[in-house]
Amino acid sequence: MNSFIDHSLQVTRRHFFGRAGVGAAALASMMNEAAGAAGGTPLPAKAKRVIYLFQSGAPSQLDLFDHKPGLAARFGADLPNSIRQGQRLTGMTAGQDRFPTAPSRFKFAQHGKSGAWLSELMPHTARVADELCFIKSMHTEAINHDPAITFFQTGAQLAGRPSIGSWLSYGLGSENHDLPAFVALLSNGTGNPMDQPLYDRLWGSGFLPTKHQGVKFRSQGDPVLFLSNPPGLDAGARRRMLDDLAKLNQMEFAEVNDPEINTRIAQYELAYRMQTSVPDLTDVSNEPASTFDLYGPDSRTPGTFAANCLLARRMAERGVRFIQLFHRGWDQHTKLPKQIEGQCRDTDQPSAALVADLKQRGLLDDTLVVWGGEFGRTVYCQGRLTPDDYGRDHHPRCFTIWMAGGGIKGGITHGETDDFSYNITRDPVDVHDLHATILHCLGIDHTKLTFKFQGRHYRLTDVFGKVVKPVLT
Amino acid sequence: MNRLVLLFISIASLLRAQDRIEFNRDIRPILSDTCFLCHGPDKARRKADLRLDVESSAKAKHEDHFTIVPGKLDQSELIRRITTDDADDRMPPLDSGRQLTKQQIDLLKRWVAQGASWQAHWSFIAPQRPALPPVKDSAWPRNAVDHFILAKLEHEGLSPSPEADAAALQRRVTLDLTGLPPAPSETSEPYTALVDRLLASPRFGERMAIRWLDAARYADTSGYQSDGERWMWRWRDWVIDAYNANMPFDQFTIEQIGGDLLPSATLPQKIATAFNRNHRGNAEGGIVPEEFAVEYVVDRVDTTCTVWMGLTMGCARCHDHKYDPLTQNDFYSLFAFFNNVPEKGKAIKVGNSVPWIPAPTTAQQRELAQLNDRITKAEAHLTKLEPVIAAAQLAWEKTLVEEATPPWTVTRSLQKRFDKTEDFDGRRFVDGGDVGDFGYFDKFSFTAWIKPHAGKDGAILSRMVEDQSDSAFASIDEGYRVFLKDGRVQLHLTKRWLDDALRVETEEQVPPDQWRHITVVYDGSRVAAGVKIFINGQPQKLRVHLDQLNQTFATKQPFRIGAGGGAANRFQGQMRDVRVYTRALADEESTILAAAESVTDIAKLPVSKRTDLQATKIRACFLTEHAEPAQRAAQSELNTLREQRAVFIESIPTLMVMEEMPVPREAHILKRGVYDQPGERVFPGVPASLPPMPADAKVNRLGFAQWLVSEKNPLTARVAVNQLWQMLFGTGLVKTSEDFGSQGEPPSHPELLDWLATEFMRDWDVKRLMKLLVTSATYRQSSRITPAALGRDPENRLLSHAPRVRLSAEMVRDQALAAAGLLVENIGGPSVKPYQPSGLGKELSGTDLELDHGDKLFRRGLYTFWKRTSPHPTMTAFDAPGREMCCVRPSRTDTPLQALALMNDITFVEAARALAQRVMHEMQTREDRVCHAFRLALNRAPKAQELKVLLADYDLQLTRFRSDPASARSLITTGESLRDNLLDPAEHAALAALCGLILNLDEAVTKQ
Repeated sequence: MNSFIDHSLQVTRRHFFGRAGVGAAALASMMNEAAGAAGGTPLPAKAKRVIYLFQSGAPSQLDLFDHKPGLAARFGADLPNSIRQGQRLTGMTAGQDRFPTAPSRFKFAQHGKSGAWLSELMPHTARVADELCFIKSMHTEAINHDPAITFFQTGAQLAGRPSIGSWLSYGLGSENHDLPAFVALLSNGTGNPMDQPLYDRLWGSGFLPTKHQGVKFRSQGDPVLFLSNPPGLDAGARRRMLDDLAKLNQMEFAEVNDPEINTRIAQYELAYRMQTSVPDLTDVSNEPASTFDLYGPDSRTPGTFAANCLLARRMAERGVRFIQLFHRGWDQHTKLPKQIEGQCRDTDQPSAALVADLKQRGLLDDTLVVWGGEFGRTVYCQGRLTPDDYGRDHHPRCFTIWMAGGGIKGGITHGETDDFSYNITRDPVDVHDLHATILHCLGIDHTKLTFKFQGRHYRLTDVFGKVVKPVLT
Repeated sequence: MNRLVLLFISIASLLRAQDRIEFNRDIRPILSDTCFLCHGPDKARRKADLRLDVESSAKAKHEDHFTIVPGKLDQSELIRRITTDDADDRMPPLDSGRQLTKQQIDLLKRWVAQGASWQAHWSFIAPQRPALPPVKDSAWPRNAVDHFILAKLEHEGLSPSPEADAAALQRRVTLDLTGLPPAPSETSEPYTALVDRLLASPRFGERMAIRWLDAARYADTSGYQSDGERWMWRWRDWVIDAYNANMPFDQFTIEQIGGDLLPSATLPQKIATAFNRNHRGNAEGGIVPEEFAVEYVVDRVDTTCTVWMGLTMGCARCHDHKYDPLTQNDFYSLFAFFNNVPEKGKAIKVGNSVPWIPAPTTAQQRELAQLNDRITKAEAHLTKLEPVIAAAQLAWEKTLVEEATPPWTVTRSLQKRFDKTEDFDGRRFVDGGDVGDFGYFDKFSFTAWIKPHAGKDGAILSRMVEDQSDSAFASIDEGYRVFLKDGRVQLHLTKRWLDDALRVETEEQVPPDQWRHITVVYDGSRVAAGVKIFINGQPQKLRVHLDQLNQTFATKQPFRIGAGGGAANRFQGQMRDVRVYTRALADEESTILAAAESVTDIAKLPVSKRTDLQATKIRACFLTEHAEPAQRAAQSELNTLREQRAVFIESIPTLMVMEEMPVPREAHILKRGVYDQPGERVFPGVPASLPPMPADAKVNRLGFAQWLVSEKNPLTARVAVNQLWQMLFGTGLVKTSEDFGSQGEPPSHPELLDWLATEFMRDWDVKRLMKLLVTSATYRQSSRITPAALGRDPENRLLSHAPRVRLSAEMVRDQALAAAGLLVENIGGPSVKPYQPSGLGKELSGTDLELDHGDKLFRRGLYTFWKRTSPHPTMTAFDAPGREMCCVRPSRTDTPLQALALMNDITFVEAARALAQRVMHEMQTREDRVCHAFRLALNRAPKAQELKVLLADYDLQLTRFRSDPASARSLITTGESLRDNLLDPAEHAALAALCGLILNLDEAVTKQ
């Protein structure tokens, strides 16, 4: 089945998409075609697909994961210069007179056999802690949302490059017959509903052919844009129309011999199949009550993070290659304690449920799950500090994400930060490293997945990136 | 399977071993892609001091051997290294990610054996006009273009296709030159007459503008984060006008890059420079502005170099170019041309960022001139009346001594007045309720009498978060307030205290324990220059503490007198007569309000004893209320006209343009391209590997633009004609139209490209060139593909037949609307927001675009509002570039999302039912109607077997809709356009469904 198939004449890609499920083999052919036998052996793929739970706005590592018990005693004291080291700050706090330390208001405890530290805001995540690999030493270059989230999604801070999901669609093709290879799902945080916006480019295909762009699944109206037939035309009428359309297009093909016509006929057939397969995917009415219990009460409300987590599992079952959730609301410059409680209420239970659910269905072994935002938050307070109320500015120099499933060692913590969660003291991981590691889990050598554009062989990881080996199984 | 094909290709080329190897065509691409990274222009990365991009280095001795010895395979180290089995010596190294194919190795060997002849990179040598190559079939060519195409076809053993039939050709050329399908009446006209008519049509400018807008990354929003609206459409309209006026391409170039620097630049010439302000602008809170100021300049360099020179200049931002002879120094020398704009790194969130100009349309300029004229006359009239008025006023004042006039003051737009004198002790305040609910686009004024205690600061009035617990999301200080600090009157408009606020204060202090009248006026302009403060009617000099307001400061807080921003900031002293006006008061009104005495009391004072305040007040009162009707009318007429003018000026569109700072910014090489790592200083200049600017040229943007279109520039004309070629033939003669460097593809027909470039440079006449191309025999061929052609030349680079290319996103839309008779053809104006599914904005950012209605639903695609972070989904589905960065080579893909959009997007469903209605009006029988609909979309009648399918489809639909009137009704009422209710609903619905099918045909969305 060649569904999202290559037919653009301008594509210089050196490979063909294989049949469904070809995965690494398709990649190997890409590598070998031009290079003969020397192109490099494909890596063994541990994961076939990715579910990336993007926490947009940047969650506070200090209040969720990165436990710093020593801070309580320093409440309100200025951040020592030896820690800040003159590093640049955003324009929102660079002019502050003081940088008072704001310890987390939340209690931390250790969980599971691995003894992972988590705050009381994440009781459900705590229960699956032994499945997770916490990377506490993530860092990025950007200090503002747009460049930072664009960096996470595309490997570059400025718009124009393909997103990670579109790279995978391009590199691995689709794993199914009638759904897109790359899907994006959006939800709004209840912690901070006025929060940072998202942009279509985050799942765009940049300079890759448009067909690799993520398809946004929506919770209002059609799940995929323009999926429903117009009022007055039912499925039977549509089928009949498509049959006649194919007949006429074939007559044209007989006349002009352009193979492109056959591709178009195939695309209409795929569109028709999507008209059935997508509603089938998004209809959760047959899920047992236990599913909704697992994912939490929000999972019955379309458009919530919880409902999207459930859809993500259903997509994984159906072979969608890259499933990315975006949850807004983590940008907590003020009133962080109050806002973060709402965000955790939205995300804690369903994120943990997804891991547990994938595991019980035997899907966690070949599904890579990633949870995290675009940067961290400062230990010093933005605005007024009281024991119960504080805000935190953007902090790119260290933050925490977690990964689980296909190819990743569960129950470990990688990397360390200083006593202020301000600087990394061990095993830094940058955004390119994370990308290289994700690609590695999917059996792709990040230096070899390239696309020639404007004379350059572009990579997701630019000219950087090291696979973070200690986190791999 | 793929391997097999490759093998055949290799054999085919081996069989032609007698062919002469050509360096630029056969060898440079291999060396560039495989070797230049380490043996190329970038000195930092260069290994073994060997350059393979420079002949002298490639043929020189390195250590103990020569890299290339012409004619001697066994003495050439290059050949040994690429063929050796020794993994340590093998080139390219195994870990480089680059490999040579057997075919490439073979080519390199044959090249060395043939003498390793070298050529400079083709695009850096000025084009020479070649002679027309001889052809065997001398009857075929219609013009010079065809000689080059045919010569190559004959060389390859292929022959051209016969001419397309007249109807197909008419559709093709009409789409190509106007972006719209031919109207049914446009028939049987000689081809050249048709071409002339199309080139003269104003639709030509619209069609040409679309691709230029892609190149110029034109959009209606700023692109980063919250992606606020901006207004650049006056530039878009300039482009349309320029194409329609057939502005020569050299002038088109000069005006867009340096129009503002032309002697006595006209408004259109300034408008043209908006080209270089179309880049995105970042308004996100907390950014480091210097970082983005650099990005804007980089974007200008990248875009300008791509659009005019086909150079990937951006590669030299961080290091010397890896493939082309362009250094980092070259990059920053170009950077220096574009670095002198008086702009800010932080863009404004909604609207145009400085520098911008009012850019009235021609009609608006006329209207403004008329208004000014009327104001001058009204002023003159009032001046003439002055002696009469003065006398009448004196007479009237005398009557006041006997009978007091009622209290008079400025009451227009007075929203609320708090008369009472209030005492404030630093704790109490007055809750004024829901008054003064203003945001940053609102005009407003506050006035008050204040008597502050000595040494006490505090809020005079406010609508501001007062307590942290007031709001779940806002912080204290958010909102507006008038504040007294050290006796100085301040205005605070605050979204975020540190970096998203406006703060000004008076230089003068008000004395303690004395009554003073203050007026604070804000004109809604969002900048400090839009604030005025008066003390006792006197305009005050203001100090600006912060001028970075970027979001609205509106809050749900009540209006408070004596408080604002927390309990520590309460007023101490007395206040009375606090007023809120919902407009910006005129200066004179501030004066009037500061006169405390009643009009009657003023009248009692001798004229010579009156203060200016008092004199102004009593005159205003007289002229407004008591003068003769003719005198009152004269004054009110003038007031009305002035206000009309103010309102009119605000309605004039503005445009971000290029301006030059009086003293240029210093430019430096930025190490690794990073904004805060300046290196060596650089000065404006053009790349060293290209011809220099003339000695007498001005070294500024204007000089640079003139250099671009000078005779010596080897790139500009080639790049320009290649883009035009690509527009018509789908693929450029240089396929990589964005890259004419060594990593780009060499031209398929280098002599033709050079011939066209030299031809174009004669007069830079775009219409003449387009006519030349579309009247060529090459263009006029049938697009039918023969199996032989498909086998030999699957990409049709040799043009043995006309290309079949899917229509662009805009054309898909415009064609459907045109066929349906829905298209509303107005040229230019603000962008419009046609149908799109609701919720698209909401799910990204919380707010949806407000969609348009009526005519604005049916404008051409190029007028669709372009929101960068959420472009119209059907545009995106059909491969419209995202407009975030420059794009000169649009892609064409084929996806199920396109099928879904064409079948189900309301735009096309409505077009189908309108098309059905149209053919029902224009034709009577079922067969005529079906044929007519088909012809409107495809410009041809259906063939017999096609008609059979179409009619069967129609009959089936008709039966269905007859038995299901509700469905019929639903289908034919889709969309906002009116339906003719006299039409039989079932017939209309059946035909609408059939028209939907027709609009979805491959042929309908293909130019062939």
